[in-house]
Amino acid sequence: MIEITGLHKQFGSVVAVDDVTFHAENGAITGLLGPNGAGKTTTLRVLSTLVRPDRGTVTVDGIDVVSNPLAVRERLGVLPDTRGLYPRLTARENIRYYGELFGMSGKELENRIDELVRVLDFGHVADRRTQGFSQGERMKVAIARSLVHAPKNVLLDEPTNGLDVMSARALRSFVKRLKDDGACVVFSSHMMQEVAMLCDRIVVVASGRVVADGTSEALLAQTGEKSLEEAFVTLVGLADTEGASP
Amino acid sequence: MSEARKALRVARKELLDHSRDLRSVLSALLFPLLGPVALALMFQVIASWSGKNAVIELPIVGKANAPALVSFFERHGVTVTDAPADYEERVRDGTLDIVLVFPDDYGAAFAEGRPAPVDVVLDSSRTKGHARAMRVRRMLDAYAGSIGAARLLARGISPELAAPLAATEIDLATPERLAATILGSIPMFLVFAAFAGGMYVAIDVTAGERERGSFEPLLVCPVSRGSLVVGKWLATVVAAMLALLVSMAAFAVAVRAVPLESLGVKARFGPEEMGYVLAAAAPLALFASALQMLLSTLARSFKEAQTYLQLFLMLPFLPAIYIAMAPIEPSLWMMTVPILGQDLLLAEVLRGEAMGPLAFLLSGLVSVALSAVCLAATARLFKSERIIFGR
Repeated sequence: MIEITGLHKQFGSVVAVDDVTFHAENGAITGLLGPNGAGKTTTLRVLSTLVRPDRGTVTVDGIDVVSNPLAVRERLGVLPDTRGLYPRLTARENIRYYGELFGMSGKELENRIDELVRVLDFGHVADRRTQGFSQGERMKVAIARSLVHAPKNVLLDEPTNGLDVMSARALRSFVKRLKDDGACVVFSSHMMQEVAMLCDRIVVVASGRVVADGTSEALLAQTGEKSLEEAFVTLVGLADTEGASP
Repeated sequence: MSEARKALRVARKELLDHSRDLRSVLSALLFPLLGPVALALMFQVIASWSGKNAVIELPIVGKANAPALVSFFERHGVTVTDAPADYEERVRDGTLDIVLVFPDDYGAAFAEGRPAPVDVVLDSSRTKGHARAMRVRRMLDAYAGSIGAARLLARGISPELAAPLAATEIDLATPERLAATILGSIPMFLVFAAFAGGMYVAIDVTAGERERGSFEPLLVCPVSRGSLVVGKWLATVVAAMLALLVSMAAFAVAVRAVPLESLGVKARFGPEEMGYVLAAAAPLALFASALQMLLSTLARSFKEAQTYLQLFLMLPFLPAIYIAMAPIEPSLWMMTVPILGQDLLLAEVLRGEAMGPLAFLLSGLVSVALSAVCLAATARLFKSERIIFGR
């Protein structure tokens, strides 16, 4: 369960997030949709306690990200914007390291790694050093690493970026499994179709503001457009004109 | 899990990671050999210059003109040869050190008791053959002296009258002096090892971590910034200590292997000295690692960090050069200056006069305190948005 109310964050004079309010339920995939630079990544970084909000409250399972960041991080699985692996460690060693930092060890940890290797289907490279892995293989290891502790809240920042069709499909089906297991998943993307296909609710962000929040049907109704892409363009365009006139 | 255990997990991962990194391994194991190898080589060269036991070959022009002098040389272990025709050229280019020329009127002048002409051909601008040339000069003087004394005795005069001075040469600018200077550079190289050993690890765990994009995901793990920094620092310290130990062991071997005794230099580098060396230098390895991590965290990229730290590697040489230029009497306040304190402590240990425990304690405490300051500053930077995202 994630709740964001009135979030504002600026870097110097650049407003990254102007005013964002939304919540994400357990057992649901909440899509964070918006063009590049809309403030999606900054919002997720505030959620993952790496960036301090200037205004607003942000909680994970009711815990405030500013006052208790360690407890928030324990409840989160985050696939951030940058997701580099350690090239001199094997895939398994990369995942094991994070497991240890989440306080796991021994049989419990090894079983969990085996499970992730099986579910994400990268057994053929699991014991190889990650140097030279393909984009898809790298993504799978990065996801396994961020979910090694089976978190109840999952933040995925544009996870399908740079993936081929097959890898993106495999990833989407994995995200659905997380939802079925009862997790609260926040999935950011700038691709309309993907979000419509996957998410139960869509939060459209443009110029640092939430411009729409609802199911894909609700978005179509709100804009009066026939296709989701048209609806998206309309919503983003509205935000731009609003932002231009003070 | 406690934060301390998490710090250990971080350290363990970094050590595993860097044991597979050629650059880290080389800087921990190979750089520290630089000093000892240079020392051994220089001593071999110096020993060959002084060459006290070396056979001297002496080319002579007109050997037949001075048979008595030739046999005098041969009795003193000199191999006399006929000089080649182009001997002046050979002396100039350094293939011959010294050549004696006995002209044809040598014999006649000698027999008549007039000063017999001898040309001594040498090139005083060359240092390599200088010692050998000087030995030939001294033998020539000794021969002349003994003949002169015999002639005076033959005329009933005490030779002592002709020797108003009994001069004994005590030469300070000798290979011995040079050898002592080289031995004096050992502390500098030990300090260098403490810095160079952990350099690549320090860069890679900070600037490198960010550059490969693994910093942001790592910071999302539930580990305090302090534990992360301490864990990374411990791994760096292991590398620095390794370098220090390798350097120390190599110096101990080198000092034993080179012909120090024949140069009349004494250096103590036994187990007891090694203990003192560690006591003096180990705290510096802590500080060097923390400082290098702080600087690399501030750098925008791996390359930039590398540039900073390579400039920083000059640090160990500054106090050492100062001490070499203007020898100073170590006093307690100097122990509060990192690097300078260690240089002095180590120099005294190697001279066989370790300073008191207070000096070791003081310099160690300063290093530990400064390490803590650097670590705290790095942990603060790990929280800064500017540092995390490289803005």
